Amino acid sequence: MLGMVKKETIAMLLAGGQGSRLGVLTNSVAKPAVPFGGKYRIIDFTLSNCVNSGIDTIGVLTQYQPLELNTYIGSGQPWDLDRLFGGVTILPPHIKGSHGEWYKGTANAIYQNIHYIETYCPEYIVVLSGDHIYKMNYKWMLDYHKEKNADCTISVLNVPYEEASRFGIMGTDADFRICEFEEKPENPKSTLASMGVYIFTWKKLREYLSRDENDEDSDNDFGKDIIPSMLDGGERVYAYEFKGYWKDVGTIESLWEANMDLLDPNVPIQLDDPLWKMYSRNNVLPPQFIGRDSVIENSYVTEGCKIDGRITRSILFPGVTVEKGAAIRHSIIMPNATVREGAVVEYSILAPDSIIGKYARVGVSDNTDDGVRRQNITVVGRGSSIGENVEVGVGLTVSGNMPAKEEGEAQC
Amino acid sequence: MLNVLGINFAYNDRENLRELTQLRTLASLPIAGKYRIIDFILSGFVNSGINDISIITKNNYHSLVDHVGAGNDWDLNRKIGGIRILTPLSQPGMLENVGLYKGTAEALARNLHSIKRTVAEYVIMTGSSVVCCSIDYEELLHTHIKSGADITAVYANSLNGYKKVPLGIPVFFFDDNMRLIGLRENEDDITRQEATWSVGIFVIKKSLLEALVSDCIARGGYSFYYDILDYLKGNLMIKGYHYNKQLFEISDVTGYMNANMNFLKSDFRDTAFEKPIYTKVKDSVPTIYCEGCSVRNSIVADGCKIQGTVEDGIISRGVKIGRGAVVRNCIVMQNAEIMSDVELQYVIIDKDVIVREGQKLIGHEKYPVVVEKRSIV
Repeated sequence: MLGMVKKETIAMLLAGGQGSRLGVLTNSVAKPAVPFGGKYRIIDFTLSNCVNSGIDTIGVLTQYQPLELNTYIGSGQPWDLDRLFGGVTILPPHIKGSHGEWYKGTANAIYQNIHYIETYCPEYIVVLSGDHIYKMNYKWMLDYHKEKNADCTISVLNVPYEEASRFGIMGTDADFRICEFEEKPENPKSTLASMGVYIFTWKKLREYLSRDENDEDSDNDFGKDIIPSMLDGGERVYAYEFKGYWKDVGTIESLWEANMDLLDPNVPIQLDDPLWKMYSRNNVLPPQFIGRDSVIENSYVTEGCKIDGRITRSILFPGVTVEKGAAIRHSIIMPNATVREGAVVEYSILAPDSIIGKYARVGVSDNTDDGVRRQNITVVGRGSSIGENVEVGVGLTVSGNMPAKEEGEAQC
Repeated sequence: MLNVLGINFAYNDRENLRELTQLRTLASLPIAGKYRIIDFILSGFVNSGINDISIITKNNYHSLVDHVGAGNDWDLNRKIGGIRILTPLSQPGMLENVGLYKGTAEALARNLHSIKRTVAEYVIMTGSSVVCCSIDYEELLHTHIKSGADITAVYANSLNGYKKVPLGIPVFFFDDNMRLIGLRENEDDITRQEATWSVGIFVIKKSLLEALVSDCIARGGYSFYYDILDYLKGNLMIKGYHYNKQLFEISDVTGYMNANMNFLKSDFRDTAFEKPIYTKVKDSVPTIYCEGCSVRNSIVADGCKIQGTVEDGIISRGVKIGRGAVVRNCIVMQNAEIMSDVELQYVIIDKDVIVREGQKLIGHEKYPVVVEKRSIV
């Protein structure tokens, strides 16, 4: 065919998960679109990794609450993914012929988009999740995949033994060829945990996807079905050890922790590497204004913020207003939230557009033990409004409005 | 969308900005932390629905070309309209006498080939030394059409409340019907209470502009102010339009300092940023405020690392301020590094400057110190 270009490697990014453990933060957005790290969304990390690794063709599989995610990705321009051939393509579930169905599982989602993948005639496909925080060069992993002449390569992380039972654990031989795979084992035989980053030789994967689709008992999931059946089939499945920072931000506590890691100089994730930039869709906002009465320490603050209060070890997203006398400590304040005069916010996550009324207290406690406090993060949902003088107890989740408290009324 | 071609002159022959414009044209001078002057001009056009824009450059325009690029960040990478940067020296049909323009009328004449090709009915022209932060071009155009004027000239009579006429700016004289009857350059810094001075914005029908410019060149003229406005004020109906909101004016270093410091006032910021101001996206990380730092009454852009003290400052993208450094009343441009224990007051630090440990630079409010781009102090 004239003008036909082939892509050696394309990426499929699974971004349809609800992320139900993030509670009110994912009520109206998919997990990959949850704000992270001051001016990013969680999906920016995976998208930027792809682009920085030289992958310019990415299918983003969406299903749960896709509106905001679709709008965010748009033409892909912020990630340099508005390409003449390739670039980013949103792949929602769709009707084929007389019937259509939702994505039943991760493998089924890829299966339903075989026609998208075949457009590019790829040799390899990288399967990724849109909900992890890490910086990784997939090019290196692909080189490894080729070197091992593998059919599938799974990126693994060496985790502490106590945590191993939370992950999919790989048993390998001396050459890192995987011989066993166990999903969340009670007594792990190894500490190599799957990061949910796979590279497949496309021909091989297509074969297994079709077979899996015809198996009515299958959950159509990569971890549960595809990988075990490839192992059973004697295919060459290899582990690729990733050494670096990686975090699954599936829970409120881990989301809080991963944000705080950015402020800790001892944690090996740096976002300001000029040769490995994190790209994100930019808000058109003026620079931050820091008022006369503000004190800011050990914090990230970004565009459009207007700060007059005291900020300690916190991450402030675009367009946040902190009024005079307000104090924010150990917290994550998402876009366009407002903290009014005299309010105090501690160990909390304020979702976008939330408003904390004057002298309200959110997650405030006398306990100063970081180890204890970080297990009990207070969350204020999107657009929620906490009235004047209202107290929101440690570890609570508020969604909707809490009207101002009258004098003498009991605390909630 | 307005049926208007926006033309910006990216330079100003009268400015005296010392080292600041040695390597760049006026329109690409950094301002308010993360912007260039051109950002306010382009955003003003775009926010009023003008999407067909030409920038006329004269010298040092590489920084402007680099900043504007294809115009994506202003939503001006368009099939219909869009942005074009017109450069001097190589206009078609001008093989002889190529050189820099002597005046704005000559600049327009030399770019007539491009102006003629656009389909807009009207032209709105702006300079780069005065920026009206919240001018509504749509209303300006309607006023121009309704008044029946041939040319509408926008004027101001105060500089954000101060009755000051910037040096070198043309002063307009109007009759009782706001018709232009005279104009004179403010050479002696006279501060007259009732002076009405040009902000460099004009509205005119494109066909009339083409005719006037050709005629002006044929007469041997080159200046838009003197060889068109002043020369033809009796024949043409030239009317004034009063702009009385926030603006900034940059013709010398003190003016540049004041223009920046305006942004520390909340009412000025609220007006200037009421509508979005677009600029080139740099994908900087958020600014990190380290332990022991102190920042007060300042504008800070993204990508900075602040360990020292900043007061009443304008800090651009990617600036590093070291431990123990004290920076007061300063403008620090992109990627500059102020190392530890440095003391700066009334200093303008240009891009990529390094101020080494323990250095001390003190300027004066009326005469700030300027540290040239890429120098090491």
